[in-house]
Amino acid sequence: MSDLRTTLVGYVTYRGREGHWSFLLHRITGLGVVLFLTIHIIDIAFVYFNPTLFMKAIEIYRSTLFGIGEIFLVFCVFYHGVNGLRIAYLDLFKPQGWHIESQRRSARWTLGIALILWLPSALWMLRNLLMHNYGFFGG
Amino acid sequence: MATATQTARRVRIKPNYETIAWKWMRYSAFAMIPLVWGHMILQDVIVGVHRIDLDYVAMRWASLFWRIYDTLLLGFAFAHGVNGLRQVLNDFIHADRARKIINWLLFLFWLIITLIGGAALIGGVNQPFPLS
Repeated sequence: MSDLRTTLVGYVTYRGREGHWSFLLHRITGLGVVLFLTIHIIDIAFVYFNPTLFMKAIEIYRSTLFGIGEIFLVFCVFYHGVNGLRIAYLDLFKPQGWHIESQRRSARWTLGIALILWLPSALWMLRNLLMHNYGFFGG
Repeated sequence: MATATQTARRVRIKPNYETIAWKWMRYSAFAMIPLVWGHMILQDVIVGVHRIDLDYVAMRWASLFWRIYDTLLLGFAFAHGVNGLRQVLNDFIHADRARKIINWLLFLFWLIITLIGGAALIGGVNQPFPLS
């Protein structure tokens, strides 16, 4: 149990600035995605094992709460992807690029690129949500 | 400061399971950028959950291309995700025995969910046509 405490306290109190923040974001987004992915594999498996249950799951996904969750999920996938590319590229092809200064810069760029990729998707999904659930935009 | 001579020495270390897992996380990242982003942008943004139903899945899986696409997604993404979960858990659990147990549990978890997903991919939409 002390392992748990030590690690969690370390996660919060470590002062590594951008590197630390991107580590935390990578973990949080990754855990979020794998949680949804597990549920998603099972709900898609319902189309074969129990089609009625599949439509029940889809109904839940169409609710406003899950719609908002979906918008955040898309951010998680974009951020985890861009940051994952950064890690994979540096680790595999340019390990000498793990300098603190350049890492700070690339961590900021990563967040920026993820946000730029996410915003149009987020707005479009919000539009779909308002249209189907609240009758906006002629829905 | 005295001058020091630097000598570089290449060391070959036999790759073990952890090396393979480490590489897997990184190489699968490159494969998943088009796979996962493509899937997500198409299904969550362009099509949207309000237009997805049994008919839609049946239509999509009528094409072998999309079934292969989804098989690749399942294979790459879920293995990447479960190994990521294992890495996170290894930060919290340090005892060898406990790690061994976690490894086995996660392996079984990965295997069972992958088999369930794979069965659906092969079986397809389990309803006679036309869909009601």
